[in-house]
Parts: sequence; C-alpha cells; structure tokens
Amino acid sequence: MEILGVFKTLDSAAAAIDKLIAAGVTEERITSLSSVPYPAGVLIKKKRLPRFYLWTLVFGGGGAVLGFSLAAGTAWLYPLQTGDKPIISIFPVGLITYELMMLFAIIGTLVGMFWAMRLPKFNRQAYADEIGDGAIGVLVTAEDGPKAEEVRESLRDSGAGRICNGEEGA
Amino acid sequence: MTTRANRYDAVRMNREMLSSMSPPTWRWYLLAAVLGAVVAFGLYAFTVQVTTGMGVTGINRPVMWGIYIISFVFWVGLSHSGTMVSAILRLSKASWRRPILRGAEAMTVFSISVAGLFPLIHLGRNWIFYYLLPYPNQRGLWPNFRSPLLFDMVAINTYIIGSTIFLYIGLLPDLAVVRDCSSGWKKKIYAILAMGWRGSAEQWQVFSRGSTLLACLIIPVAVSVHSIVAWDFAVTLVPGWHSTIFAPYFVIGAITSGVAAVITLMIVIRKLFKLEEFLQPVHFDNMAKLLLAVCLLWSYFYFSEVFTTWYAHKPIEWEIFSFMSSRYGIMLLIMMLGNTIVPIIGLCFRQVRRSLPALLVITLLVNLAMFIERFLIVVPSLSHKNIPFIWGSYTPSWVELAIMVASFALFFLLYTLFAKFFPILAITDVREQEEVLLGSQQNGRTRLETLVKEE
Repeated sequence: MEILGVFKTLDSAAAAIDKLIAAGVTEERITSLSSVPYPAGVLIKKKRLPRFYLWTLVFGGGGAVLGFSLAAGTAWLYPLQTGDKPIISIFPVGLITYELMMLFAIIGTLVGMFWAMRLPKFNRQAYADEIGDGAIGVLVTAEDGPKAEEVRESLRDSGAGRICNGEEGA
Repeated sequence: MTTRANRYDAVRMNREMLSSMSPPTWRWYLLAAVLGAVVAFGLYAFTVQVTTGMGVTGINRPVMWGIYIISFVFWVGLSHSGTMVSAILRLSKASWRRPILRGAEAMTVFSISVAGLFPLIHLGRNWIFYYLLPYPNQRGLWPNFRSPLLFDMVAINTYIIGSTIFLYIGLLPDLAVVRDCSSGWKKKIYAILAMGWRGSAEQWQVFSRGSTLLACLIIPVAVSVHSIVAWDFAVTLVPGWHSTIFAPYFVIGAITSGVAAVITLMIVIRKLFKLEEFLQPVHFDNMAKLLLAVCLLWSYFYFSEVFTTWYAHKPIEWEIFSFMSSRYGIMLLIMMLGNTIVPIIGLCFRQVRRSLPALLVITLLVNLAMFIERFLIVVPSLSHKNIPFIWGSYTPSWVELAIMVASFALFFLLYTLFAKFFPILAITDVREQEEVLLGSQQNGRTRLETLVKEE
C-alpha cells in the first residue's frame, strides 16, 4: 500500500526521507511528490528509468516505412505517367518518408513518456492538493500491517502535516 | 540548514500566474464578440466564394496565387518561432525562456492551424478537399505525391500534431497545478486533462528527458516545414523563385516574423494580465537581441539574392525586380524599413530593447514588412513571367481581404480563449527557477551551487 506524508517545507520532507532510510526503508520504496522538479539528490536519488526512447525509435522506423510505402509504393501501384518523369521520384518520396518518420517519432515519444510515467491514471491515488501549492509529499510503498504503521509513525514524527493512504488521495 | 519556505511563496506565485484564468469580465466578452464577428464575416465571404466560384477573387491569369497563398506563407512563418525558439532555448538551457515559452508554443499551434486553412480555401472546389487524402476509392484516384500540395499537407499536419504534443507535454504539470487549485466541474475537467499527474520524482525525470527529446525532434520538423513551403516556389521555373537559397531564406524569414510576434504577444499579455513581475525587461531585452540577430541574417540572405540578380542582370529576373520596384515601390520601401533598417538600428540600443512601446512598434512593423515581403515574392514573379504577352497584375477582391482579416481575428480569438482556459505562463518552469535553481547552500538532502543567475 502507498502511504503519503505531506510536508510544508523541503527541508522537513528531506529530513523525513533520511529518517525513513535510517529506519530501514529502502530508497526504491520512497518517492517524492512535488509541483516543481528538484534535482536528483535533493529529495530522492536519480532512479533508473524505463527505456522510453525505444518507443521513439520503433514509431519513427514504422513512420519511415509507412511514408515510403505511401509515396513510393502507391506510385508504383497507381502509375501516373507525366512526361519523362520517373514513376517513383526520389525528391517527394524522401520528403514524405522524412515527414512521416518525424511525425511518428514524436507520437512514439509521447506514448513512451506516458508509458514510463504510468499515465493516464484516473483512479484514486495517494495525493494531496497542497502539493500544487508548494507542499512536498513523501510517498512510501509498504506492506499493510506493522511495517505500514512504522512508516506512518516515522512520517508523523518528522512533522508531516497530513498522512493519508493510497485510496484517500485525489 | 536554510529553510526555503520563507524565500518564496508558492501559493502567491500560483495565484498570480493563474490570474489570466480568472472569470471573464465584460471587456473580455466584448473582445471575444468582436473577434467572433470578424470571423463570422470571413465565413460569409468564404460562403460567397463557394457558392459563386473563384471568379469572386482577384486571382486570374497570370497571377494564380494571391492573398490566400501569401497568407499561408505568412502564417506558416509566424508559427515557426514559437515551438522552435522554445525548443532551442530549452536545449541551450537559457533560463530566461521560462516565462516566454508557453505563449510562444501556443502561438505556434494556432498560427499553423490558421495557415492550414489557406491551401483548403485556395483549392477552389473546397468540398472535395478529401481527394487529398490517400484512401482506396471507386474512382481509382490516388493522390499524386509528386505534387507540392501533398508535400505541404503532410508537412503541415506533421507540424500541427508535433507542436500540439510539444505544447501539451509542457502543459501537463501546470494542468495538475490548475486541477489542485480549482473545484467543482472545473476540477474534474482539469483532472482529465492532467491525466493523473502527481509530480513524482520518476515522473519529473521522464518529463525532463522526454521534453528534451521532443525539443530535438521538433526543431528539424520546423525547419523542414518552411523549407517545403519554400520549395513550393523554388522547384518551379518561375523567374525570381527558382533559387537555391530560397529554403534557408524562408526559414530565417519565418523565425524573424515569429520572434517579432512572440515579443508583441508578450507585451500584450503582460499588460492585459498584469504579469509585470514575471515578464521583466530582461526577457524583452534577450528576445530583442534574438530578433536583431535574425533580422541581420534575413538582410544578409535578401541582399545576397538581390545583388546576384543585379550583377548578373539576367533580363527576365531584372524585369521582375524593375516591375516590383516601380509598381510596388512604396511596399518595397516599407519592407526594407521594417525588416532591415528600423530593427537593426533600433535594437542595437539597450534603451530601445527595454522600452516596451518602442518594441511594440518595431515588432508590429517587422510583421507588417514580413507580410509585404510575402506579397512581393508571390505577385511580381507571377505578373511578369517569361512570356511578355501574358503579363498582368493582381488586385485582391473584398472576399480575399475579408478572409485574410478573418484569419487574424481567428488567431487572436483562439489565443484569447487559450489564455482564459489554460495557464499562459509556464507555472512550474517559472517556479522551478525561483524555488530551485536560484537557490544554493543546503538544499534538501544535498548541497547545490546556484545554477542560474537572475539576469
């Protein structure tokens, strides 16, 4: 389950994370929620990200194939003889291939980012509206039971203004 | 250990930056109604064109491209700097970009959308526009990809979709802030738009890398779009158009008009929404320096083209230049003043770069001159082509002028609506600078040196 502690200041949130780590909670189980990005290490160390840019490459490659097929493949299927011009012309085929490759690469990046950020998520999740106004959330994943109670206690001791479970958030 | 809570007031900054989204006043409704009426009149003019035929326009042999194509090139150009400047400044980590980028990115989306209407209006039989789309049909027709019209359609659609994605990704954390600050049905709508964003460390990490990747992808698309528009002209054998430097010349012209438009909009937004605290003289100063640089580049390209024509004195090319300078002498003069003389001399002075009234005049003049430049590219070359017995000229009709004016109204209407329903300043970017990057000393669990300076 997810347990969220909401802190008014950055320093109190950082102290809470230190205390949780000292109490034996691994950093992989802790994350921060904030309305501005903080550099790695200010709250949480840099984490290994899923390789979302692979979506960019795959979609970009698919777009290039689609663009080439549209411009060259269909010109070959529906030949339109114009003077002595070639049926498959390099200039337009290159342009259409390039544009569709870039279009699909951009769409792939969007899809990849959403996949890596685990969005969209419309069901209730641990969150507090104060975070939008500058408060810092410390979110801990812990098994329900005594361990979760320990985490709650630690967050409370560190000065969390509010503590809520995953289902109680926005 | 310093606590940063006293150094800033996130609540106050949020409220001030979201002030543009406050409930509309009667003045806002009046503005929207006037703009809507102008758009409606443009629609009426378009209906006249559809029901009567293209004869109601001033387009005729030999000038078959008129205000519609001129407006198309102008709006594509205007769309350039938004996303492109935002992407370049993001990649170069120019911290002063932060208050500017949202307005610039929105400008791109709306101006490229307006631009996309003009090829459709220019088509003639607009109701069969879908012949442009490649789909199997019983007529056995297939779009001819060798036609520049198809290049344009593909390139513009790529840029519209790409710019919209770029704008939306940048908006995502701000939509979450708006969601957190609103209530009732508004909260529900912004919650859907924010997609469940909650600003976890992992989400910010992906956001940062993904935004950089998108910026890298969108810059070559922006360059290609205006290059393709330039090749609409350059790949023909029309004298005055058939030039190897047309693509870079168009790209620089586009960035010039786009940067000028961003400055104009920033001045208006600053005044209307009382954002003096966030849009400071330093931002205008830096944008004006950028405008000065691109005006110098534009002038270099323009005079390179004119000097080679003048020195070579190829009869047909010189005929077009002579015709342009005699028939459209005043317009040529305004173009020179607006694109070269006034901005290059004026923007050298710090006082001018930091004077908003002076900047407003200069940037409006730059875009007026840019529109004229598009006119002078299209009309004189088509009027006096290679065969003298079909030389002619062009005067736009009221229908064309009404549609052109309506396009400006449509752009401003879309922009006004956007500013009312979405944050016009990049809230999290501005707050990041104020709260995180301007800080030093002990910061959370680590010690950071100051990453940026205020100016």
